[in-house]
Amino acid sequence: MRSSSAVILFSILVAPALAIYAADSAPMAAKGGKGGHQNRAAGASFENSVLPLMTRYCGGCHGEKTQVAGISFHTFKDEASVVKGRRTWEKVAEAVKTGHMPPKNAVPLPAKDRALLTGWIETKLASAGCDLRDSGRVTLRRLNRAEYNNTIRDLVGIDFRPADDFPSDDVGYGFDNIGDVLTISPLLMEKYLNAAEQITERAIAANSYNAPAERVHAKDLADAAGGQFHENTFRILGQTGDSLRRAFTFSKDGEYVLRVRAFGQQFGDEPPKMAVRLDGGDRFNPMSTEVALLEVKATEDSPHVYEARAKVTAGRRRFSVTYTNNFKDLENPDPAKRGDRNLLVEWIEVIGPVADEAKPIPESHKRLFVVQPEEGKEREAARLIVERFATRAFRRPVRAEELDRILKIWEMSQTDGESFERGIQLAVQAVLVSPHFLFRVELDDPKAAAAPGASAAGQPINDWELASRLSYFLWASMPDEELMQLAAAGRLAQPEVLEAQAKRMLRDPKSRAVVENFADQWLNLRLLKNVNPDPKRYPAFNDALRQAMVNETQLFFESIMREDRPVTDLLDARYTFLNERLATHYGIEWVKGDHFRKVVLPDERRGGILTHASVLTLTSNPTRTSPVKRGKWVLEQVLGTPPPPAPPDVPALAEDTAEMMVKGTLKQRMEQHRRDPACATCHLSMDAMGFALENFDPIGAWREKDGEEPIDASGALKTGEKVDGIGGLKKILRKQKGEFVRNFSEQLLTYALGRGLEHYDDCVVNDITQRTARQRYSFSSFVTEIVKSDPFRKRRGEGEVQ
Amino acid sequence: MRTRLPRRTFLKGVGTVIALPVLEAMMPASASAAAKKPPLRMLFMSVPNGVHMQAWRPGEEGPLGELPATLEPLTGVKDYMNVLTGLTQHHARPNGDGPGDHARSAAAFLTGCQPRKTNGADIKVGISVDQFAAQNNPARTRFPSLELGLERGAQAGNCDSGYSCAYSSSISWASETTPVAKEVDPRLVFDRLFGNGDSAEETEARIKRERYRKSILDFVMEDAKRLQAQLGVKDQQKLDEYLTGVREIEKRIELASKANIQGVAGGATRPSGIPSDYAEHAKLMQDMLFLAFRGDLTRISTFMWANEGSNRPYRQIGISDGHHDLSHHQGDAAKHEKLKQINRFHIQNLAYFAEKLKNTPEGEGTMLDNCMIVYGSGISDGNRHNHDDLPVLLLGRGGGTIQTGRHLVYPQNTPMNNLFLSMLDRMNIECQSLGDSQGRLEKLT
Repeated sequence: MRSSSAVILFSILVAPALAIYAADSAPMAAKGGKGGHQNRAAGASFENSVLPLMTRYCGGCHGEKTQVAGISFHTFKDEASVVKGRRTWEKVAEAVKTGHMPPKNAVPLPAKDRALLTGWIETKLASAGCDLRDSGRVTLRRLNRAEYNNTIRDLVGIDFRPADDFPSDDVGYGFDNIGDVLTISPLLMEKYLNAAEQITERAIAANSYNAPAERVHAKDLADAAGGQFHENTFRILGQTGDSLRRAFTFSKDGEYVLRVRAFGQQFGDEPPKMAVRLDGGDRFNPMSTEVALLEVKATEDSPHVYEARAKVTAGRRRFSVTYTNNFKDLENPDPAKRGDRNLLVEWIEVIGPVADEAKPIPESHKRLFVVQPEEGKEREAARLIVERFATRAFRRPVRAEELDRILKIWEMSQTDGESFERGIQLAVQAVLVSPHFLFRVELDDPKAAAAPGASAAGQPINDWELASRLSYFLWASMPDEELMQLAAAGRLAQPEVLEAQAKRMLRDPKSRAVVENFADQWLNLRLLKNVNPDPKRYPAFNDALRQAMVNETQLFFESIMREDRPVTDLLDARYTFLNERLATHYGIEWVKGDHFRKVVLPDERRGGILTHASVLTLTSNPTRTSPVKRGKWVLEQVLGTPPPPAPPDVPALAEDTAEMMVKGTLKQRMEQHRRDPACATCHLSMDAMGFALENFDPIGAWREKDGEEPIDASGALKTGEKVDGIGGLKKILRKQKGEFVRNFSEQLLTYALGRGLEHYDDCVVNDITQRTARQRYSFSSFVTEIVKSDPFRKRRGEGEVQ
Repeated sequence: MRTRLPRRTFLKGVGTVIALPVLEAMMPASASAAAKKPPLRMLFMSVPNGVHMQAWRPGEEGPLGELPATLEPLTGVKDYMNVLTGLTQHHARPNGDGPGDHARSAAAFLTGCQPRKTNGADIKVGISVDQFAAQNNPARTRFPSLELGLERGAQAGNCDSGYSCAYSSSISWASETTPVAKEVDPRLVFDRLFGNGDSAEETEARIKRERYRKSILDFVMEDAKRLQAQLGVKDQQKLDEYLTGVREIEKRIELASKANIQGVAGGATRPSGIPSDYAEHAKLMQDMLFLAFRGDLTRISTFMWANEGSNRPYRQIGISDGHHDLSHHQGDAAKHEKLKQINRFHIQNLAYFAEKLKNTPEGEGTMLDNCMIVYGSGISDGNRHNHDDLPVLLLGRGGGTIQTGRHLVYPQNTPMNNLFLSMLDRMNIECQSLGDSQGRLEKLT
């Protein structure tokens, strides 16, 4: 982030404004001038020495009214604000030191003042050192669309991407996983609820019947029993032969399910038994047939719905339930052995006709149902199943109190007579809509604040939270079993464990998420979807080519990650990944077929992301290349030194029209454009870098001519350094490796943390770049340095000073 | 359990027709109760990058004569509309924040507030008029508001000069910190309005399902409240959004059970997804909006014809340059011509919707009588990026409270938000001031 951005940021100056401003602020400068100049940098104060200088020499362009390049100094009131704005001030020091600022056409800054200014800034920034670090505080993050899809995949075991129907996630700092920017609207809430329903319906075979049902409660039933009720709802069948019956209409031939909700007052050595019978349907056939004889093991605290299936011909038939094995001993000498066995029935129900074949039980169902409910022990089974599921979904152990509340939903469904599985479906839905699932919750822990390793600048997050930070960073999904176990054992935060886990996770195929989410956004690949090259001029472009372009860059990035190569290879490598479609586009003939493979490149024209058709296309206009957009992309995405936005009334370059072409080549027209000094300072380097890529047409094919004119891919950077073509550009970038690496660290750290970087993160970024240098900038070294860094492992407590 | 075809099966189909007769008895309670006085609706539509004003502005103030070239497709509904000249969104201006006019103009369009310049942390602007109306509307409809658009939010990169993408892709803000996501897929809008084609669901089964939904929401509400007590200020804000969402759905379930209907699609076809053709997409989305208005499922809506700063080419009308690139026209006549064509193309598609409303009788007039549709841009000239003299149309007669067929000219720098206050009055929504409003907009009656 250093030199070249300084050049750009401070290069636009408008002399007249400066003159006026300088006159305005003269008295202030004089006042500050008294003691300040003698004391030199060390003793100088910001308010008395530095600010007046800045106001006088810089304020004209970078003041409150005219904020050239979006920079103004009026917001800096004291030393503390300078330290906070260290990124800006590092650039100030650089620009002033190298003489880029003030610009040549402005009032010159005397040498001693120049020394004072840069000396002061450097001293201050150095002493505002890295000893007291702030780890920052990540805002509560909800899962974004990709994370939601992946988490459902890993949690439930079905991969059907419910979040594809969710509204887009907003992007901040270049990524769509930034807590501050991710919001929840009622619309999204509604989608969460729908998605939860769909997920559970797919994942769990609910044993529900999609057929008409008729249910009759015990009090409305004809009976051969005494008519005694228990709790007003259950009819007591106390004697052998006691029965309840009711005539139902079976609308057509088919299979029906006969259901009875019941429990037993258990006594003796067997449970109560009930015979479920259907009569023949008319007076010519009055005999009942026994459909099933069922043992009722359920007890009062957990009544059960018993089911029997029967093939029935259409007509009106009587359905009866009869108690068959009464047993009692009320006179046993031992009072503890006295008792009476009874059958209690709440309702009976007929459902049907139902489909003959049972649907196959999905794999996800088997995974979820870690135990099968034993009759009478459904509650325990439900508790176990939900506990396990919620622990994984919440990415931490579920609390007993939470579990009780979730199970209430299950209970409600059971009272309604729903199947056990249907009850689990509903409980799982509740978990999937809970904030503990949808958000990655990190809480301040008063104990952690006092623990070793905690400081005013941050306290370690707990192991569960750390497991989630790891998994969402490298997998964009939930932690797996191994991470959860390490968290449970309290071992995850140990640096060597952390490092080993990060490396293991990188090797896992799920780390593909880094490519699809980090690389795609960092390199802007997602924008390729919206690019529409003019089909008349570029008929070769179609969706297949668009997809092939994305594949190339993704595979290339992935190879560097998987083979743990230096990230600097991203800029320059002698290989890439091609299929026939893309190879043809590149003029390489020997690659055949649709599949992508690693291809060693014949020459320097290709190799490295700058030569990828994806990047070259997404930085072009529909009808022509845009050296400005390409140059800006290099400065911004590769070097991390974005040029300031153009002022509003600066005209963009005209599109090609026949009439325009007469006025000269694109390059000549742009040179004309740069003659305007307001444009020149920013555009010099940007354009030179963009022009170096002119041999690639708007869809990334190689060309020697643009129209009739031969391509001239040469130019000079602001420093005077010559660039010629892609080879020259790569050479320049190799020299600026430091900036690239720093930018890569910043981008990856932003993505890993889910927040924008602040001034206090600078020290961390410095550490990362230094340590990764010792490991030849291998991909994994960035990942391990990030996961071991303070901002990744710690969090500033609420209310602690920034 | 409800019967349901697998979603993917639906997707493969071209479209499912839900044939339900629209009977007065099936209309929501709110609609039939107010049968004598049809509901009044408000809709706000934004187009990006400004317009070519020379082909937009009618000459003098007064009755609308022959419409200028860009507005000409609206001739059929001329008597139902006003062209408003002179309105300003002051807070779309830099006011010290430097470049970023596109992001600012979208953020300020319906809020009249200055968006905070940030790439992510602390996004902040102000509540927008539609959301203010939705939150304070005494008349409850199933959906307090519908937010629609034709472009998804940006997927990567910086949107505009240091402003978060949230600004350029949202004109609806539920609070100063919460942009409201918009729906861009007409199929999903249909599903939301009418359920996904599952009209045969048994009433009993539906009631049961909604009871379960309610208890699930009760559970998560409890979860969220307990969690909130443990969070820091910023995190609480995020959870507030969550709680608002939960409450919103709870209210809706309640309303649905009172109205006892699933929604009336009236024979409309369920769209099969986002059409690749822009005009077709616009038409389908407006069809959905029409259904929502007609069934009184909502009375408030926003509609973004594209995200602000959109660089979409319009090949349907032979324009392969990006819209944003063209809007920096530098006075070039060829570019003016193309811009005019794009502006007119949008208006043509709007005319389809306006005509449809006009051709639907309602009460003693037509649906268009009972609408207030603001159509415009937060930028006037795309080259200058000025935010005064905005192109603004007001279609519909506001239930007979707006005199139409006129070109109204206001003094320079009249806040656009004055118009919003006048609209809120007509919706019976009390509002003393909103954003930078300075009072009511004159001349409407």
